[in-house]
Amino acid sequence: MPFNFNNSNVATRENRIGSITGYVGTLKDLAEKSQCGTLKGCSRCFSQSSTCLSTCGLSQLAAIRDVAVIHHGPAGCSVASSGSYYMSRVMAKKRGVTSSTVYVGTDMNENDTIFGSTKQLREIILEVNKRYSPKAIFVSSSCATGIIGEDIDSIVDDVKSEIDVPIVAVHCEGFKSRIWATGFDISDHAVVSSIVQPPREGVKSNKINFKNFFESARPEIIEMFKKFDLEPVFLYCNSTVEELSHLSESLATTCICGTLGNYIGNALEEKYNVPYVRSINQCGIVGFETWLREIGKVTGRSDKIEKYIEEQRAIYLPQIEEVKKELQGHTAVLGMGPGYTFEVSRVLDELGIKVVWALAWHYDKKYENGDVPPSMKYLLDNDIDFEASVADQQNYEVMNILKKYNPDMYLSRHPGSTVWAIKNGTPAIYVADEYMIFGYKHTLEFARSILDAINNRSFEENLAKRTKLPYTDWWYKQNVDAFLEEAN
Amino acid sequence: MSEIMENPKGGCVLAGINSVLSAIHRTCPVYHSGPGCCMQTTAADQGQSGHKHSCFVSGVSIPSSNMLEKEVVFGGVNKLRTTIQGAVDIIDADAYFVLTGCTAGIIGDDIVSVTNEFKTKGVPVYAIETPGFAGDSSLGYEAIWNTFIDQVIEPSEEKDDKLVNIFGIVPYHDPFWSGTLEEIDRILSKLGLKVNTFFTKKQGIETIKNSSKAALNIIINPWLFKGPAKKFENKFNVPSIRFPGLFIGATDTSEFVREVGKALNLDSELVEKVIREEEEYVYNYLAQAIGVVSWKRFAVVADANNAVAFTRYLANDYSFTPVLVIISEPIYRQEDKERIIKRIENLEYANPPKILFLSDQYEINEAIRNEEKEITLLVGSSNDREVALEKDIQFINGAFPVNERLIFNRTYAGYKGSLTFTEDIYDNL
Repeated sequence: MPFNFNNSNVATRENRIGSITGYVGTLKDLAEKSQCGTLKGCSRCFSQSSTCLSTCGLSQLAAIRDVAVIHHGPAGCSVASSGSYYMSRVMAKKRGVTSSTVYVGTDMNENDTIFGSTKQLREIILEVNKRYSPKAIFVSSSCATGIIGEDIDSIVDDVKSEIDVPIVAVHCEGFKSRIWATGFDISDHAVVSSIVQPPREGVKSNKINFKNFFESARPEIIEMFKKFDLEPVFLYCNSTVEELSHLSESLATTCICGTLGNYIGNALEEKYNVPYVRSINQCGIVGFETWLREIGKVTGRSDKIEKYIEEQRAIYLPQIEEVKKELQGHTAVLGMGPGYTFEVSRVLDELGIKVVWALAWHYDKKYENGDVPPSMKYLLDNDIDFEASVADQQNYEVMNILKKYNPDMYLSRHPGSTVWAIKNGTPAIYVADEYMIFGYKHTLEFARSILDAINNRSFEENLAKRTKLPYTDWWYKQNVDAFLEEAN
Repeated sequence: MSEIMENPKGGCVLAGINSVLSAIHRTCPVYHSGPGCCMQTTAADQGQSGHKHSCFVSGVSIPSSNMLEKEVVFGGVNKLRTTIQGAVDIIDADAYFVLTGCTAGIIGDDIVSVTNEFKTKGVPVYAIETPGFAGDSSLGYEAIWNTFIDQVIEPSEEKDDKLVNIFGIVPYHDPFWSGTLEEIDRILSKLGLKVNTFFTKKQGIETIKNSSKAALNIIINPWLFKGPAKKFENKFNVPSIRFPGLFIGATDTSEFVREVGKALNLDSELVEKVIREEEEYVYNYLAQAIGVVSWKRFAVVADANNAVAFTRYLANDYSFTPVLVIISEPIYRQEDKERIIKRIENLEYANPPKILFLSDQYEINEAIRNEEKEITLLVGSSNDREVALEKDIQFINGAFPVNERLIFNRTYAGYKGSLTFTEDIYDNL
């Protein structure tokens, strides 16, 4: 798909790649319909909380070192700042670097919604630049500024002459998309259009761009890539503006999560011919090997990679086989973003755990290059099927399923989601760290964590006995799709 | 007016309303707002309040109309109607409250008409029209109480001369709210009073409906709840007293107990007996740990209520020297600022500290960084830890936001809380 970096706006996932947030059926049906193009998403006449795309978009940008994010909106919108502030400090400290990134709100009030506040915004940008001397400035809109039509693009254009670092408008109206992952695309768009420079002439690189969340496995990935004569550049957590400006020079781009990395991967490929590694992700054994081999192919390092795979297999496969014996036959429900749900369900299948229902918070029918997501293609090709839904994080749907299927475990990457499973008495595994199932070593650890969670259920069972959940008996008797209706 | 706010402490009006509703047993908020507002506002207060969240509905389980472009253009009342209906069908709550996000507020959706459709069918659904951009969490606390006064509380001719209502402690926006209300409840119960904290003891919408029977409204806060208190008095004939700040330790807590005793005409012998017992209890412990902490010169960064409490306890009861007090929540009325200053400056034992009103983190950090006098203890929020580390000052995370500890029923307030606070000073040397 053609990217337009002259416009600061990014089309939503719904419009760009046909993403949906409502579906109930089976995995096969979902995959087949998306392949032949007949999939239609549903909307809900009743819904619970979703998530704001600005949280995704701006927390990505705020993870970059020494930048300023200016969130133009009411104070409540910039509350993500506290999380970003905390995370970026903790992550920088963990790695032993410093970051002076700031995230400021403009504290828009009632008057501003009537009369506008572009003049103040201009002053705020200049003041932020003076106060913090950031290496780049991102100016974001919000629902309120979007509806009253504040022209942040013009303000940004206008101050460019007075500011010597990259400054870019970032369009984060929360009502724009029902898919919060659109926020990831928005942040990628801002970085590619304002920070990434064309490759310098004559620079030879062995770098590989690695889009992830919090780089917790950084040291071991650096170590591993060294064996292949590759050097990973992790984004955006702890990235510097300087590093980002050279993304165009790398040998390839890869990512930990297709939902997270798809936009920048394809954008760098289209604009600067940096190949994007398209494969199932690194979770589990098959995923890890497939991914490594793809990198080998793209960067011409297949021999080294085959040797590594052989060594690692010898160490870990026997141990994984051992744990698998105890996991055999257990059942699981999982609820995650689509970049993980269909990858983790593959891993559970590998470990001998039976997935009875998989919920993806949204679903991308295809990726930027027009293909069905690799994780879906894999499941389809390997004849793996189970009940599946696209659930927009809807807690009442999760609870309905957990009550009906009473699985041995619930897995989610969203803490608010596992909490409810635990209150229901279901052991829950919070797959918070994106590297929790990465490669052989972490797949083994993951299998052991599952075993721990299902073997001691004291807290879940005792708590559930004494906790009354808010849902009515009526709801538990309904089909999970009771509130879905044809999208309009 | 738009201005720079690095790390605002708390969220918008909806955050404050949501905090209150989340703390009332079996009450369900329904957001008429964009898809992110539930998570943002829950993150704003509950998410930074010592890791405690509402058990009933919170975060991902809160019904929300998740308004998108279509609703922005064509109006969102239809989506709101089906969202309320769904909430009533699937959530087994005693009352439902519709909150207005910025989007619904600006496009002017008529949420009152929609909620009235349900009301006429006997469903307890109430509309709160104050939109997100109207202010911060504190305003949200007042907005929801105004809603209760206007729509929920039932008038009552009979008064119960032993029943009191407690106001001014905002759930979640004060991370210690549970323990603090429990301590206030414990002390006042010893005086023979029945206490509506509204947020503990599984008190629910029935308690709120019947709160007009109270003999007295007790506001524990130097500035919050001015409007609602007046409204409450006019409509339900319940007078109020304001105690100008939370209390930690014997001096202020006993003053509080005496004021309540006076306002309700309680038997002064009983009042003094309770005070004697409680003070004895506290000092019996304090006498057993002396001299390990050398005297500290301290600074406080907190909301007004807690800033008053920390400063007065450390200065009046624990011989520490106050240097700098920063009120880190926005205070708009001059009279409120003066009341706060007066309460902090009017110390029995120490020279008054410098007092600043700053809510922008940059300015807060600068003020501490550039303070000429030596500071050896800082009581503040998680956001203030960094500057404490930088200046190598002992730090206690005692004010909102609190990200680094789990808080169930811990409190620093009252008699017992003062012992916990003193323990924590030792814990963190």
